[in-house]
Amino acid sequence: MLRPYHLIPAVPALALALMPFLPFVNTDGLWFGLPRMLVWGAAWCVMCTPALLLTERLMSRESGELAETAAITEGD
Amino acid sequence: MTTILIMTFTGIVLIGVLGFAGRRKPAADLSEWAVGGRNFGAVSMWFLQAGEVFTTFTFLGMAGLAFSGGVAALYALPYIPIGYMVLFFLAKRLWALGKERGYLTQGDYLEDRYDSKLLGTVAAVLGVVFVLPYLQLQITGLGLIVQLVTGNSASGTLSMIIGSALVVAFVLWAGLHGVAMTSYFKDVIMLVVLAVLLVAVPAHFAGGVSAMFHRIDRLHPEMLTIHAGPTDQVWFTTSMLVSAIGVGLMCLPHAWPAVMSARDPKVLRRNYTWMPLYELCILMPVIVGFAAVLVVKPGTAANGILLTLSKQVLPSWATGLVVVAAIATAMVPAAGILIGISSLVARNIARVRAERTQFWINHGTVVAACGLSLLLAIFRPDLLANLLLLTYSGTVQLAPAIGLGFLARRPVGKVPVLAGLFVGELVVIWLTFWEKGLAGNVNVGLVGLGANLVVLALAATAERFVARNASPESESDEPVAVTA
Repeated sequence: MLRPYHLIPAVPALALALMPFLPFVNTDGLWFGLPRMLVWGAAWCVMCTPALLLTERLMSRESGELAETAAITEGD
Repeated sequence: MTTILIMTFTGIVLIGVLGFAGRRKPAADLSEWAVGGRNFGAVSMWFLQAGEVFTTFTFLGMAGLAFSGGVAALYALPYIPIGYMVLFFLAKRLWALGKERGYLTQGDYLEDRYDSKLLGTVAAVLGVVFVLPYLQLQITGLGLIVQLVTGNSASGTLSMIIGSALVVAFVLWAGLHGVAMTSYFKDVIMLVVLAVLLVAVPAHFAGGVSAMFHRIDRLHPEMLTIHAGPTDQVWFTTSMLVSAIGVGLMCLPHAWPAVMSARDPKVLRRNYTWMPLYELCILMPVIVGFAAVLVVKPGTAANGILLTLSKQVLPSWATGLVVVAAIATAMVPAAGILIGISSLVARNIARVRAERTQFWINHGTVVAACGLSLLLAIFRPDLLANLLLLTYSGTVQLAPAIGLGFLARRPVGKVPVLAGLFVGELVVIWLTFWEKGLAGNVNVGLVGLGANLVVLALAATAERFVARNASPESESDEPVAVTA
């Protein structure tokens, strides 16, 4: 079943997919001595990992709670 | 030059030897050979999955793309993390289905989920036709690398022959275990070489990475933006989207053995979580390619840019290491592609019942596919070039079938899926070869996918309508709940 936290990885995914359409990213000029597109892309690639880690944590917490509820109910 | 040649052929032989060393015991059957008995741990899985990403295209093509198109090359940066985020959610179910139902290939999955041998065979044929040019690309790339650094076409041809023979030999001998063993070597040497080039090339030509980009910003600011032209925002986004769908829904058949070989689904999920960080390595050849904007004449053949710069900056022994790394990015993915192609033929096209016969058909296909690719790479390198355009846009037409197959109760039958697939492929082929300008800068794979989905939806609606009006005894291909 789809939960709100399943959409957490959509944040970095959208930031990556939309980068050529963001006027402050797709422009000349540099950030930290590197092209803005490159910095933006690299930063959001890095953010994919914590987004997935957080999602996994919330998924395992919920499955743990479900197992606990099932055990209590069984203890019928 | 002699130093580079010696290192080149030593590197090719070393990769072959490592491939042979991958075998622990003789493979008893196709499952042991193609998916390593489904017993691969986190480290092997990591390098196998990374091995699919870092090919000659990444190593040489990305630098060339940065030289010719500037930041447009960055379309390759987002699609893999986005695809892996999709797989993060799907891999557990896919692995469980594969283990329970004995899938080795993409064709096995489609055949089982839609209860249709025809769909399994069609998917396998499409997979072989669209991925064979990708195999030839790796072999051609190998020859091109050696030819570029030696300036001698004969040594390029010889390297293709020796490289292909060794790949076939270690793939037959060790199967996926051999690919895993060579993947370790490939990634380590590739990362070391790219790190050296990342420091040495910009420092040599511009005084450092930051200084290099400041000069590009001053002299060629258009290289730092996605702007109107053949690689505009529409091209960037649609190319990225098609590639992301291809990765996320496992549309390329050679991606399947690696996923099916995992010991458990936690390994897959952990890798998909951390792999986006590893993908940042793609930026290294891009940055090196930007240096060429300042020092190489516009219009120079883009694919050789990285090696051209290496020769100008590094001593010959170090250039030899660059060549070995580049060769590894050709030979190792070629081995993985061979396993993907041969298992498709043995399982979903030849359709023999006896396991032993299936195993020999598989091995015969390895020799035939690599032999054909080698012959074409030497004598007709342009023959499959057009088909290469279809590798991603053609295989991505399988996305609806694969995606809907994940559902426990699949909403459509095999007929709508086949109809959508047929129309999608027709649209892609038509737009690629006959009406080239019609789609503008939109990736033709996405246009085909749109037509594919429309036809699938219409056929599914018609199917339900027919099923509702049919008499109870009549058989129809109505949607059903499938196992698991």
